[in-house]
Amino acid sequence: MKTFMPLINSYWYLFRGAGMTLMMAGTAVIPATLLGLLIAIAQIFGGRVSRSAIVTYLFVVRGIPLLVLLTFVYYLLPLTGIDLPPFWGVVLVLSVYYAAFMSEVFRAGILSLPRAQWDAAKSLGMTRHQMLQIVIFPQALRLAAPPFVSLCANLVKATSLVSIVGLWELTMASREVVERTLAPFQIFLAAAVLYFCICYSIAAYGKYLERRILVGH
Amino acid sequence: MLFDPNFIARLIPALLEGAEVTVELAVLTFLICLVWGLPVALMQAMRGPVAWIAGSYVQIVRNTPLLIQMYLIYFGLSMVGVPLSGFASGLLALCLQNGGYVAEIYRGGLQAVSARQYEAGRALGMRPWTLYTSVILPQMVARVIPPLTNQAISITKDTSQVAAIAVMDVMKISQVWVESSANTYDVFLGVALIYLTLTTIVSLVGRFAEQRLAFAA
Repeated sequence: MKTFMPLINSYWYLFRGAGMTLMMAGTAVIPATLLGLLIAIAQIFGGRVSRSAIVTYLFVVRGIPLLVLLTFVYYLLPLTGIDLPPFWGVVLVLSVYYAAFMSEVFRAGILSLPRAQWDAAKSLGMTRHQMLQIVIFPQALRLAAPPFVSLCANLVKATSLVSIVGLWELTMASREVVERTLAPFQIFLAAAVLYFCICYSIAAYGKYLERRILVGH
Repeated sequence: MLFDPNFIARLIPALLEGAEVTVELAVLTFLICLVWGLPVALMQAMRGPVAWIAGSYVQIVRNTPLLIQMYLIYFGLSMVGVPLSGFASGLLALCLQNGGYVAEIYRGGLQAVSARQYEAGRALGMRPWTLYTSVILPQMVARVIPPLTNQAISITKDTSQVAAIAVMDVMKISQVWVESSANTYDVFLGVALIYLTLTTIVSLVGRFAEQRLAFAA
């Protein structure tokens, strides 16, 4: 019982940390999704300039660790004189970073629709706008939903990195408790369990969507 | 001062020293995971408790952050009497997590080979060994190389997290230099270039392997 005393005394603190983790991931996922959609559309339908700009962006973001970008913003923002609270700085980095992966998911969804869907829409005399809105997007977004959900679980895990640049969330909370109680094994295990509960529920929802949506494919 | 030549001349050797640790970690992790993923994937394909154990392992390592796993191993295990160095803890956590991902890649590769391929091989009177080595595995290899390349890229980026447990990789060295020199731009440009070079090399090797080994595709 004595082994778990530190945990019993500080479980509420860890729960609050988990709440912050969820809030951070939940805030970042909205701009990431919108930006990802925009990038996917621009990459498929855009001109040469926007396409090569996107390819460069994807190359840079996919080739550099998130931790490097987070630290970069942490040290650089004060130098540039932009007065952005750390929370929003982190949300900015997370959404720009995850938008790259989101755009791949959406692009794959759009491109995996059979050619016949496009031809059918065109032969009905639809404009490009109608075609996308009525025929392509509803189907493509359904196809993209399962990988999108598992990316969200990934995003929750990635928020743990912000503790390295000093933001308070579940990982930071558990580190603080460890420093106070000197019980790293119990506390980090508890943090791992909390992360697991969050991410596993999200992933399980993704699996459910996959079974339901991909029935006909 | 931006692009101070004297500073850069001292910075480059330091960063390259860190890059060596990063490469060591990434290569060791990838090789160990290539081997470790196979028994996990095969166990998942079985029935009964074995499959359950392998499945739980994959779910647990995939749904908790790498950083928490590293803390648990580095701080937690030393508390219960198994002190590991930062490098060993980082390597162990990287292998545990990415082993789960690689196992899933293998599993996907095995499932993607259609049952008709097995039937056709058997109908031609092949022995299991011949069937696997000349029909099934070549097709599986063709399918797993692209996701394995992505995993290798993500391993390379994930190694940056060992900076949090005091391993002197390129990330940690950059943090030390930023804090002691205030020459943030140069340091981060250097780190970003090193990671971009490493991930580009990985994806080129992956493409080369795809061309050479994926003859069945």
